Amino acid sequence: MTVLEVLIKYQQGFLSGLKVTLQLSLIIWSSGLIFGTILGGLSARITWLALISRFGSFTLSGIPILVFLFWLHFPAQAVFNIVVDPFYTAAFVLSIVNLFAVTDIVRGALLEFPAQYNIAAKVCGISGLDTLLFIQIPIIFRQTLPTLIITQVGMLQATLFASLISVEEIFRVAQRINASIYKPVEIYTALGIFFLAVCLPLNGFAYWFRNTFTRNLSES
Amino acid sequence: MALRIGLEIPLPVIYPSPEVVMLKADKVTKIYDGKVILNDVSLSVQPGQITALIGPSGSGKTTLLKSLALLDYPDQGMISLDDITYNFPLSKRQEIQPPWPHVTIVFQQHFLWPHLTLRQNIMLPLKRKGIFARKQAEDLIESLGLTEFCDRYPNQASLGQRQRTALVRALVLEPAYILLDEVTSSLDVEQVSVILSHLQSLRERNIGILIITHLIGFANRAADQIVFLNQGEVLETGGVELLRSPKHERVRKFLSVIESAM
Repeated sequence: MTVLEVLIKYQQGFLSGLKVTLQLSLIIWSSGLIFGTILGGLSARITWLALISRFGSFTLSGIPILVFLFWLHFPAQAVFNIVVDPFYTAAFVLSIVNLFAVTDIVRGALLEFPAQYNIAAKVCGISGLDTLLFIQIPIIFRQTLPTLIITQVGMLQATLFASLISVEEIFRVAQRINASIYKPVEIYTALGIFFLAVCLPLNGFAYWFRNTFTRNLSES
Repeated sequence: MALRIGLEIPLPVIYPSPEVVMLKADKVTKIYDGKVILNDVSLSVQPGQITALIGPSGSGKTTLLKSLALLDYPDQGMISLDDITYNFPLSKRQEIQPPWPHVTIVFQQHFLWPHLTLRQNIMLPLKRKGIFARKQAEDLIESLGLTEFCDRYPNQASLGQRQRTALVRALVLEPAYILLDEVTSSLDVEQVSVILSHLQSLRERNIGILIITHLIGFANRAADQIVFLNQGEVLETGGVELLRSPKHERVRKFLSVIESAM
């Protein structure tokens, strides 16, 4: 049985796993990017919020994602005597991780934004709105986009952890198919091809974007 | 004063001397981290005149420029811009009216926006202005020899090209006062001569110019007034004859060091 034959024969299973993976990724990406950008923007201006977000990201950086996920899935639910769908637990945990990662990137870019570009805009009589639209946002966007893309690729790969708490995403589907037909080379090759097909172009785009649009800020 | 009847409207202090048209610093003091950068500095930039500010590095020249442009408020003293006078430290009721680009600065480090080409850097401030301003900008781009480079990004341009771009960006704004911080430092003799002729044409158009320069020959040819700043204090002020026969020993020493280095 070739890789293609495995994919064709178990396409229903792979597609349903793919659907769950993409649903999970979309939740993680959108919540992390939206709320992370907002929190990053606010924490660059509000000191107490900066302290909270820095404490959050510092604490999270010391906890492996898997431990965080398992802790929320098993002991926390037992302590509070509740049962939460593992899909939502995984979405919540990975969204929190993504949120703090995005917050850090956005806050860093805002705090490190070179003041001289605002000063140059001021002395040229450019309004605050035009400075924001034509100077600050484009520069910050160019500086942060590659890192944000690479972070989101990392989050897509982190969805694999969800399989460990029984979320039927693509990796768990692949494991189940393998358990029934035992064709690990073909199945995990197919899985590898899937992740390569999704992640490589995104990483490539980030690399291209960084090289093409991220100007050296120190050189002007 | 009449508006103080219980209203919390921030107003600049306006003194009734509207006939005085100039940019002026009066007894300006600036302190950073307990160190006095400017100490009782007085200086005026008059329309149609070029004032050259000279002095050793670290003497407070750029700080004075920023104070004059109200980018950096002095701790004490007065800044007058035409008929508006600001007393420092500002009272809670006072608010600075942004004077830019009526007063503008060309910085030594250029401060070009890195995501825009040289042409876009020049055109961005003209975004809300008419086609005439753009045409004028194109003419300036050509006269300063930037035409073939202006589609480059700042990090692809030479120091001289960036310096000229920063200068064009300021000139097209038609300021009443232009403050230039070492704009000739990265230029060759030919380009310095082009800048000189531009400054002279600006002077003819009644624009007040303050220029920080280490090129004594340039100051000699361009300036109407010379101000020598040393350790945050004005040591000597006068016409260009100051460069030939300075009264103060420190000025004489500084000029002789520069002369021997040329």
